Parts: sequence; structure tokens; C-alpha cells
Amino acid sequence: MITKRMIRYVGIKILIYLITIFVAFSVLFFFLRLIPGDPVSRFIRQIEQRYSIQLAQVTREIIAEYKRKFGLEGDLLTQYISYLRRVFLEFDLGPSFLNFPNPVQDLIAWRLPWSIGLLGMATLISWIIGIISGTLIGWKRGSKIDSVMFVISLCMSQIPFYLLALFLVMFLAYVFSIFPPRWAFSPTVTPGLNLAFISSVIYHATLPSLSLILISSFGWLISTRSITITILGEDYLLFAQAKGLRKIRILNRYILRNALLPQTTGLAMSLGFIVNGFYLVEWIFSYPGMGTLLVQAINALDYNTVQGIILISIFTVLTANLIIDLVYPLIDPRIRSE
Amino acid sequence: MSQQKSFIQQKITAMSSLLIKGPLAFRAGFFILLFLVTLAILEPCVNNYLLKGHSSTEFGLFPKLLPPSFEHPLGTDHFGRDIFSLQLTGLKYSLIIGLLAGGIATLVAVVIATTSGYLGGKVDSVLNAITNSVLVIPTLPILLAIAAYVRMNLLMLSFTLAAFSWPWPTRVIRAQILSLKERPYVDLAKVSGLNSFEIMFFEILPNLMPFIGVGFAYAIIGAMIAETGLRLIGLGPGDIPSLGLLLFWYMGFGAIAQGYYQMVLAPAALLILIFISLNLINVGLEEIFNPRLKKITGL
Repeated sequence: MITKRMIRYVGIKILIYLITIFVAFSVLFFFLRLIPGDPVSRFIRQIEQRYSIQLAQVTREIIAEYKRKFGLEGDLLTQYISYLRRVFLEFDLGPSFLNFPNPVQDLIAWRLPWSIGLLGMATLISWIIGIISGTLIGWKRGSKIDSVMFVISLCMSQIPFYLLALFLVMFLAYVFSIFPPRWAFSPTVTPGLNLAFISSVIYHATLPSLSLILISSFGWLISTRSITITILGEDYLLFAQAKGLRKIRILNRYILRNALLPQTTGLAMSLGFIVNGFYLVEWIFSYPGMGTLLVQAINALDYNTVQGIILISIFTVLTANLIIDLVYPLIDPRIRSE
Repeated sequence: MSQQKSFIQQKITAMSSLLIKGPLAFRAGFFILLFLVTLAILEPCVNNYLLKGHSSTEFGLFPKLLPPSFEHPLGTDHFGRDIFSLQLTGLKYSLIIGLLAGGIATLVAVVIATTSGYLGGKVDSVLNAITNSVLVIPTLPILLAIAAYVRMNLLMLSFTLAAFSWPWPTRVIRAQILSLKERPYVDLAKVSGLNSFEIMFFEILPNLMPFIGVGFAYAIIGAMIAETGLRLIGLGPGDIPSLGLLLFWYMGFGAIAQGYYQMVLAPAALLILIFISLNLINVGLEEIFNPRLKKITGL
């Protein structure tokens, strides 16, 4: 049944979502425009350097043409409105400097699958490891194993991914050359749906994903453990034990099931963060994902691309959050009543 | 008032007894951090002695790429700088930036959390919504973009980092205020005619101190992770060699591929030590001041 309260709830969530996106978009736009220096003359200087030619004769028309292409004509407000229209109505993020004249969305579209594949898999694997080990550790609460694992997890889960990635590259790629240090597949295989390519992709993804798995598994372990301990104090668990159910059944049907609901929300949340948390690790491995693209764009002062990537990250994260906010009350009646 | 003082004194006694016979994890964290901070404080003297008055970033003081030896515990780099002295300098700047940014962020957090938590109602919902949106927005790419386009000095860098790390301490402190303001002694203060400002300052804030400490540690960790991240790709002030910038220099030189592992290993290990020690301290702090947690951590 749809009540007034539900409509109000959905309305407020969507309103906050739209306002946040709009504010983030506007702040980002004005911030990037307020930076001194004209991107077009910078771009022309770059062309001059790259091809070692003098473009002193660059005419006013050419500059005007470029300015039009990059959406830099008129005053700030005109630019803002035209950018707004271009992004939200035509889904066009503008041309990139990095790969002129290809538009930013093409660059992103080429990089995005790599990031999503790498991070999606890594996040999922660490989630599964964390849930299982967290339940077991919680089950053994108060034991030696529990306290040792708990402290280790607290320490490990706060180490930034990129530092672990540095260690992994150093030891597993250079000291013992077990894994390749860079890129997403070997240059000798032809991209396509063949076994050689797929195995090469997995082989190259091992180290970067390991740096995420090794750290975020511990994060999942901590949260699952505390959920498990809460569940262990519930009456129904005592009843289940009194009934004489087997341990494996209690673990599986009574604890894991109950821990899964909040942890699935957490998973959805961190999947939203996929394009986000991993910029530097991708860069360390020169992995052809969004992170490497962002660092390249920042180094090349390509602000259409920078803006595009940040917008996409904000959009994915906020959308994932909105979906959770809207779906969660359907799953969990306790939220609905609030 | 005297009752609160004794509360704080009690906690300080608890702290010092924890330092002597507390859980191993907490003591380890505290002493690792103490050691690192001492190193950082002694940096000017040590480097002055080792480098005979020169700066650790000065080029060509020594022959290039010397292997580790007694005079140069970590060898020298491709510009003839002593790597060990550079680590000390890097450690000093990393800690300074972390403390500054963390301190500013915590200050902001205390102001926001106290207003929000105590006034409640509409003010609370608006401030809480803002805090939550900043927590959700991917801040690292924005931070990278800012650092790439704006020239910064140490103070500005700290302020920028603080601008992105205040939500964590805000959450910790606000949650605590919400629980503290329901306590009987706050009701008593209300009945005896104190206004909300006085209650906030004299009744709640003193009891909030340990949680401000926890928030501070979280803010330092957040700020340092972000700082190292942006220095790692060469952004930020180039004349302030923090550990992250050292990593950038030696990664750019190709230290790993050429086998000069100590160049990358040393700053990375120092950073990990800092993060781990702060974390261990945090666990310990939460445990002393939040005895209910004891059941959960089982320590």
C-alpha cells in the first residue's frame, strides 16, 4: 500500500539527490573556471611544443572556433548555461585535450569497463571473504584467535590501497617476477573472446585487485564480526541452540542470513564507489581504467576530462546511494516505520 | 564542576595506567607513534649533524647512488642526497601536515557537531544532511583537481585537506553528544537554569574530550591518506618534501625497476607505521572511554 508518508520519503530522497548533484556540478564548474589561465592558449601552446611548429599566425577565427568547441565563449554565466545544457540534455562532456578531438565521454567509455571489471570482481571477492571470516571470528568471540585477528584487521583496514600496491609491485612484480607490473593484458595477445586474452587479463588484474582484496576483506570482517556478536546475543539464537540444532545450521541459517542484509547494503554502497576509490592503484599499475585517465588528465591540465570523470564518479556514487535509500525500506520493515 | 574534573582526572589516571599495563596493542601504537614523533622533532639536530649544516634536499652533497653503508644507512639517491636524512625530513613534514589538517578538521567538527547535536531539530537535520553528503561525495578526485590547479603552501594544503576530512570526526562527536545530552546531569543543569550554551560548554564538552581525541586521530589518518595520495602523483607544494613526495620522486626515477628498493620501501614503511600506530591508539582510546565496547572488542 502506498501511503502519504512513503511518497513523502521518496520525494525527499529524490530531492536531496537532485540538489546534491546540482550543487556538486555547479561548484565544480565554477571552481575549474576560476583557475587562472586560458585552456585554449594552453592547448595551442601544447600543439606547438608537440609538433615543434610556430602557430604565431593562429588567427582570431581559429581561437574563436576552439573556444566555441570547448564551450569557452561569452561570460561565465553563458558558459555555465551552455555547459549545463550540453551535459544534461545532449549527454556531451565536451572535447578532450588528451585525445583531441574525441569527446570526453568516449574516453571514459573506453576506460570504464576496465575499472568496473577490475574493481567489481575485487570488491565482490573481498566481500565474500570478509563475510565468511567475520562470521567465523564472531562465532569464536573472546578467543585468542578472535582478539588477534581483530587487532590485525583494525590495523590492516586503515592502510591506503596505494601503499599496499607499492609493496605488491615491488615484491611480486620485481623482486620475484611472478606477476606483470603494468597494463591490463600482455601485448602479444589479440584482444577478443579467446582464452589467451582472457587469461592474460586475469593474470594482469591479479596484483591490482590483490591490493584491494587484502585490505577491504579486513574491513568487511570487522563489520560482519560485530553484527554476528549482536546476533549471538539474541533470544532466538539461544532457542536454536537449545533445540539442539547443528552448529553449521545455526551459522548458516541463523547468523549468516541475518548478517547478509546490512552487509548487502554495504556492498551496494561500495560498488557505487568503484569508480572512485582506486585512482592511485590504477595509476601505479598503469591499468587502463578511469584512475589512470584522471591522473593523465590532471597532468595534461585537460579540464574537460577532469570535470567529466569527477561528474561521473559523483553521479554513480549518489545514484547508488539513492537506490539503496529507496530499496532498503522494501527489504527491511524496521526502516519503513521510521 | 568538581565532579567533572574528577571525571577527567580519573580518565587521565586510566590513561597512564593503560600505558603501563594496558593492552599490548594500545601500548605498541602509543610507543611507535612516540618514537616517530621524537624522530621528527629531532630531525633538525640529526640532519644538521649528518649533513654538516646543509639541507637534506640539497643536490650533489654526496656521490650519486651509493649503496647503504655506515655513513649512509639507506645510501644516496640519483641527485646525491642522503636518503636517510630525507626520510627524517619527509616524516617531519608528513606529521606536521597531518597534525595541522587533522587539528583544523577536528575544530570544525567540534563546532558543527556541538551546534547540530545540541540544538537538534531543523538545524541538526540540515547540518547532518550536509555532513552525510560530503561523506558520500568522492572527494579524492576533487582534491586532486584542486591540488593540480592551485599553487599551495603548507598552510593552504592543510586547510584544503581539512576541508575534506571534517565529516568523520563530526560523525563521531555528534553521536556522542546525542547520547550525552540525555544524561541525568544535563537535565539537572537544565533545571538549575543554565542556558544551552552553558550546558554545552560546561557540562557536555568536558565529557566529550576523549571522543574529540578519537575524532582527531581519524581526521589525521584521513588527511594523511589524502595528502600522501596527492603527493604520490606529484601534486602539491614541490618544496615541501613529505613522505608522499619522496615516493613520487623515486617512483619517477624508476627506483623499483632499477632495484633501489630502499628508496621506496623506507617512506612506504614509515607511512604504514604511522597509520597503524594511530589506529591502535584509537582502538585503545575508544576502549577506555567506552567500556561497553570492551564486550565487543574482547580485549
